[in-house]
Amino acid sequence: MNFITIITMLIVVGTVWGGMIFFLTRAVKYEKIKEENGEVEN
Amino acid sequence: MKQEEFFSSRWSLIIATIGIAVGTGNIWRFSRIVAQNGGGSFLIPWLIFLLVWSVPLIIAEFAIGKSTRFGPVGAIAKTAGRQFGWMGAFIVFVSTAIMFYYSVVTGWCLRYFISAISGDLFSTTKHLEYWTKFSSSYQPLLYHFISMVFVAFVIYRGVSKGIEKVTKFMVPSLLIILLILFVRAVTLPNAIEGIKYFFTPHLDIILNYKVWLNALTQNAWDTGAGWGLILTYAVYMKKKEDISLNAALIGFGNNSVSLLAGITIFSTVFALSTSNAMQQISQAGPANTGLTFIYLPLLFSKISSHYIVNVIFASLFFIALFFAAVTSLMSMVELTTRTLIDFGIKRGKAIIIVASLGFLLGIPSAIDLKFLTNQDWVWGVGLIISGAFISFSIIRYGVDKFRKEIINGYGSDVKIGKWYNFIIGFLIPVQVVVLVSWWLISSVSWDPEWWNPFHAANAGTCIFQWGIVLLTFILLNKFMVNQTLKQSN
Repeated sequence: MNFITIITMLIVVGTVWGGMIFFLTRAVKYEKIKEENGEVEN
Repeated sequence: MKQEEFFSSRWSLIIATIGIAVGTGNIWRFSRIVAQNGGGSFLIPWLIFLLVWSVPLIIAEFAIGKSTRFGPVGAIAKTAGRQFGWMGAFIVFVSTAIMFYYSVVTGWCLRYFISAISGDLFSTTKHLEYWTKFSSSYQPLLYHFISMVFVAFVIYRGVSKGIEKVTKFMVPSLLIILLILFVRAVTLPNAIEGIKYFFTPHLDIILNYKVWLNALTQNAWDTGAGWGLILTYAVYMKKKEDISLNAALIGFGNNSVSLLAGITIFSTVFALSTSNAMQQISQAGPANTGLTFIYLPLLFSKISSHYIVNVIFASLFFIALFFAAVTSLMSMVELTTRTLIDFGIKRGKAIIIVASLGFLLGIPSAIDLKFLTNQDWVWGVGLIISGAFISFSIIRYGVDKFRKEIINGYGSDVKIGKWYNFIIGFLIPVQVVVLVSWWLISSVSWDPEWWNPFHAANAGTCIFQWGIVLLTFILLNKFMVNQTLKQSN
């Protein structure tokens, strides 16, 4: 596998899968904060 | 109208909305488009359009649905003004028209799952004949009926007992199955050649404008952004739910699945193909079924020397495809049902109307692939216009006001900045104009009778069908908006 292929793979996979994991962990964190604060349901 | 149905949690909302976004487009269309557009050369623009088309429009849909608590007709009327309710009606119609043939496609996936698990799929190596025999029989109609009845039952049960329950099972199952197939695929001998092709960019291809337009199209058709489906599910969001972070999760989640499926398919095809692998992935076949229903079944028969292993992997693939299709179909049926509920019809009666019409008006697509291809073309490009109408609504409301009051309002975990104003107010409309123009102008080159409205895929058939729909809804605007908004009084 050449260098440019590896770079492209890292950028694409890193952005998409990395982004997904990043946003997921943030969502878990904020959801915990909301639960602790007892935010209004509806 | 007091909103009575809600998703029980943030995670239920996210799973259900990922169910909207992840469909057959991720699993079968994505790989074909990557192959036709130079592998890695396609992935870079595809990534860019995730950020400047998909995520911003998902944010818009979540925000409009959550703040108005109406399906598209009422939502657009409340956001842009009562005189623009017809735009919402067009959004509903486009997704409904897609529902008619998407139910047929869902039926194909179910039938092929049954064929795989029963072993019938491996009774032949002549898969083009197998497909032709199936598609010209009564079976597409039967499985279209089964798909529509199943989805109608789910929607009848409502948000928490229906949509939530089913998506909580199907979406995680689909992801687990894709992971199993991914691991198997990348560990096949020679799979690395597929992965290399998938990620290798070529400068001359990446500078070709067509690759960029195909990347934008794939994002537009794949994520469900701008279709009105996410807007509909957002009606059932609790007030405390965040908009922007959830939207990012949906967009990135959808593209993650595409990536997983793409690597799986490229690895499998390169590992098991005896002839030109790229040609096999790129082939469209009748109604774009080539790769999925003709070539992959052949490859599944070679995945192992053990028959039962081949049956298992083929069954897993087609059940994953079925789950992806049915969770998307559910949202289309819910959108139309929601529109009727907004008109004052109770859910039970509304679903009977929608399911009956859905089945009847899907019959032409079930029995004639040319008709299905026409509808896929007309309403597929029509979806871009739906996205434009959503963007327009926010521009009419005031983009900055919308961002501050609604997107960054109560419940927001993250505040989005002024970059959003630029994307919604300028970039999205520019992308719409460029994309619609490109598709219509391209159709002039592949059909000399580009003006003929009775041809399968040209500018004439789009303009003719869009024209009828738009004119009808513009004339009925006052009635539709009054009927919808009076329910809230």
